[in-house]
Amino acid sequence: MATIRHSLQTEIFHPIDERLMTFVHVYELYKKKKTSNFLCLTVTKEAPIVFYIHQEEKGFDLHFDKVYKWIAVNLQERQTFLVILWKQCMNIMTGNKPEFRNLPKEWLMSYSNNVPISLKSENDVNNVGDNVVIVEPEEYQALSEKEETDLEKMMLDLGFISNNAEKFIEKLTNQLSILDGENLQSVLSSEQKVVELINQLNLAINEVANLEFQLDSYDEILGHVRTTIEKMEQKNVLIQIVNKNYDKLLLQLEKVVHQLELSPKYQTALTDADLTNPTGLKDAIAAAKELQAVMNAEIHPALVQLTAVQEQKKKFDKWKSKFSHILSRHLNNLFIHIGNDTSKLKLSGSDLILPVRSQFHKELSGYTPLMHWCKLMERKAYTALKKVYTSSLGKLYERDIKQFMEEAKYRIVARIEREQWSQDIDVDERTRFDQILEIVLSQLEPVCLSEQNFCISFFQLDVFSSSTKNTQTTLDGFGDENLHVPQKTIDKKVNEEVRRMMSEIFGCIELELLNFITYYEKLDSVYCMSALIHLSEHVMSAQDTDSFLSITFGSVLVHVKRSYDKYMQTQEKSIIESRIPRKSKCGILPFVSNFEEFANTAENIFKNTERKTDLDKWYVRLMSTIFETIQNIAAEHPKTPPEVIKMENFHHLYALLSQLKISVLDGHRKEVKQKYNEALNAYVTRYFGRPLEKLNLFFEGVQGKVAQGVKESEISYQMAFSKQELRRVIREYPAREVKKGLDHLYKKVDKHLCEEENLLQVVWRAMQEEFIQQYKSIEDLIQRCYPGSMICLEFSIEDILQFFSEIARSH
Amino acid sequence: MSKKTGTQPALHKVIMVGSGGVGKSALTLQFMYDEFIEDYEPTKADSYRKKVVLDGEEVQIDILDTAGQEDYAAIRDNYFRSGEGFLCVFSITEEESFQATQEFREQILRVKNGDNIPFLLVGNKGDLYDKRKISIAEAQARAQQWNVHYVETSAKTRENVDKVFYDLMREIRSRKIDDTKVSNGHGKEKSKIKRLKCCIL
Repeated sequence: MATIRHSLQTEIFHPIDERLMTFVHVYELYKKKKTSNFLCLTVTKEAPIVFYIHQEEKGFDLHFDKVYKWIAVNLQERQTFLVILWKQCMNIMTGNKPEFRNLPKEWLMSYSNNVPISLKSENDVNNVGDNVVIVEPEEYQALSEKEETDLEKMMLDLGFISNNAEKFIEKLTNQLSILDGENLQSVLSSEQKVVELINQLNLAINEVANLEFQLDSYDEILGHVRTTIEKMEQKNVLIQIVNKNYDKLLLQLEKVVHQLELSPKYQTALTDADLTNPTGLKDAIAAAKELQAVMNAEIHPALVQLTAVQEQKKKFDKWKSKFSHILSRHLNNLFIHIGNDTSKLKLSGSDLILPVRSQFHKELSGYTPLMHWCKLMERKAYTALKKVYTSSLGKLYERDIKQFMEEAKYRIVARIEREQWSQDIDVDERTRFDQILEIVLSQLEPVCLSEQNFCISFFQLDVFSSSTKNTQTTLDGFGDENLHVPQKTIDKKVNEEVRRMMSEIFGCIELELLNFITYYEKLDSVYCMSALIHLSEHVMSAQDTDSFLSITFGSVLVHVKRSYDKYMQTQEKSIIESRIPRKSKCGILPFVSNFEEFANTAENIFKNTERKTDLDKWYVRLMSTIFETIQNIAAEHPKTPPEVIKMENFHHLYALLSQLKISVLDGHRKEVKQKYNEALNAYVTRYFGRPLEKLNLFFEGVQGKVAQGVKESEISYQMAFSKQELRRVIREYPAREVKKGLDHLYKKVDKHLCEEENLLQVVWRAMQEEFIQQYKSIEDLIQRCYPGSMICLEFSIEDILQFFSEIARSH
Repeated sequence: MSKKTGTQPALHKVIMVGSGGVGKSALTLQFMYDEFIEDYEPTKADSYRKKVVLDGEEVQIDILDTAGQEDYAAIRDNYFRSGEGFLCVFSITEEESFQATQEFREQILRVKNGDNIPFLLVGNKGDLYDKRKISIAEAQARAQQWNVHYVETSAKTRENVDKVFYDLMREIRSRKIDDTKVSNGHGKEKSKIKRLKCCIL
């Protein structure tokens, strides 16, 4: 930039006596060839000052008479150029100033502050280009009005005319030299005064120096005072700290002394505790509480090291062991006394009730705070007491429950004996057992629950402490041993503890319940079904499935379920192993007819219970076994035809299943109907060959020949099936013989079938139909194989119907 | 396990008669098992037995459900003979079934040798009253003519189902009591029937 400027100035403008003010690097807009030009603003070096705008190439719009368009290469250059141009115009031109359009105001503003430097010293004039503006130089200032008047006045005073300038100048020079001389003289005369002034000044300086010295000394003194005061302050703070510490120490000591102070009243209450009367007990509880409090005072572990504290602790320990000894002995005696309470339960009321032993719970509950104290303060004694309680109460409850169970048994038996002659002894005894078992189970619940609740509160089983220390005290000086244990683990441990204690106290329940149920199972295995249902209900309805009783009932239930399955297996086995009836008329097999009673009993017991599926499983199994066994016995019975046994028994089963409507056996019901129909058909066809046996054989032969390909019309030419032969066979069946045969058949069927199932009419009807069917088929074969032979059976359909009616009327 | 019941309760033998499709089996199944089956499957013959309490007395009822269509009427002779009481069923929506009762009645009287037979005229399908073809009056007139009772039933809704069986059992019972008196007195014919029955058992 500067180089361009320099070369422009030296090479172009200097030779023509012009000075370059500014330039801008432009393109001419409409020219295809983008040659870069410089547009320069120059000024002539001599007056009259003339500005030129040289198009030294490069451009933008400048409207003179003609419009020139240029494009600046550099925006900054363009701005500078335009602003300088404007400035020059504003400064120099009078009258018609050129109009600047679209020139942003900010340019002008910013420029007015810092531009004119380059203009001040230059007065160059040049004569190039068309647009010449003549201006006076900026530096040439007109005389002000006052100067003008002063000048005129002075010239008037001197009387000179302006045309005699030389004299005027001379005059003025003279006057000036006179004035110079005067001035010099007055300067010389003031020297004395100057010296004086200087002395004065020196004096003043000395004074100031003195003053400064004094101030310095004061300052030094003040500095000393400050350090002293700072030291004093530090000391003060230390004193305050010491005081505070004294105060704290005092406070701590007071606290320790206060906290570790057990009043003599309590001391005697502990050492001479009398737990037999309410006041003594009350005092003992208060004292024990106090002792626990002082032994667990909130004392900093470090303070525990103090001999005084340790001494105090020893004293506390002494009182504690003395008191816990008294307490242990007292409660021990109490527990043993309760355990030895041999008073009989009063079970003679009309309802069977196992009374809740609330009396001793009430008695003992007074000692609850002391038991809690013992748990915390003397764990060994607590554990020992718990053991004594458990074994004593175990004995007590064992007696109670044994007696209760005996009473329950007695009540069932008593009822049985009373009703011995009743027909429904079984049903009644079962109902009775049902009720008593239910009572037994539901009576055990409150007793167990109340004992459990008492134990939890009395022995504080629900508060878990992971500490293994015998005594919980802060005076041992060890840290808190109670590590954080998750709530779940705590709950689990608490439950375990409760369950363990309960199972020790009520250990006899499981045994007694098992004895009770086994006793009845031995009398009649049906009882295990009721037991299964009742126990299941109690186990399933239990809210706390983890509770001791639920678990006990659960394990009894497992036993009962086992005997239930065993019972069902026995049923199944008894079906499989049932002996073939010796009677000539087999009739309904005992296990088929007994199934009704079995199913009714079972349905009654299992009705709407959760255990129904257990029964359904066995139903299916038993029914399949029954099917199989019917078929086995049918095949093996010496006298009754197998079809009859199957027909009658399946018919009976079908009716039974229809009536019972056991949904799980629905498939069996359909199957059994089919089996019945099959057996009926088999029986009817098998036994129906008899009355016309020879005819049947003859025509079976005929059909066989036809099947072999012999034409029906040619059958009669076969030796064995000639017309003669046919006539011979037909002759063997005169109406009289047929009637006899039918009579015989009817009697035989009547002999086979049992009255109980009442199938005679059904079978006979089917046989009549079958007989007519056979008759028709023989007639048809005669018509086809022996046409025109005029052979026919010796009896007609009407004869047959007549025989049927006669048979009907004959009984 | 199997136990003998001392005395067998009295046994009443009932025969269902009537044309095919009038609802004999439907009435029987409803009475026996409290169920109603829509599907129609023609019966050949079926026997049912049930213990019921009739006026405080435990009795057994034997029901023989018979075929409505039979190629030869004589086939019925035998089971008619075995019956002690008859429910003669027709459908109130079918004229022919009503006409057929006449034949059944005649055959029963012929086979049973008498006109004093426990017998009920039963108009079934009472629930289909909008398809009724036989008026109550018409049916009652016939019943009156036969000197029997007429009852309308619906095997579907169970209306009067128990009633017809129980009513018939009562008739059978009173008829048996009469018979005993007669046989104790002087009826030779009746005592012969009784004796023959014993033979069957």
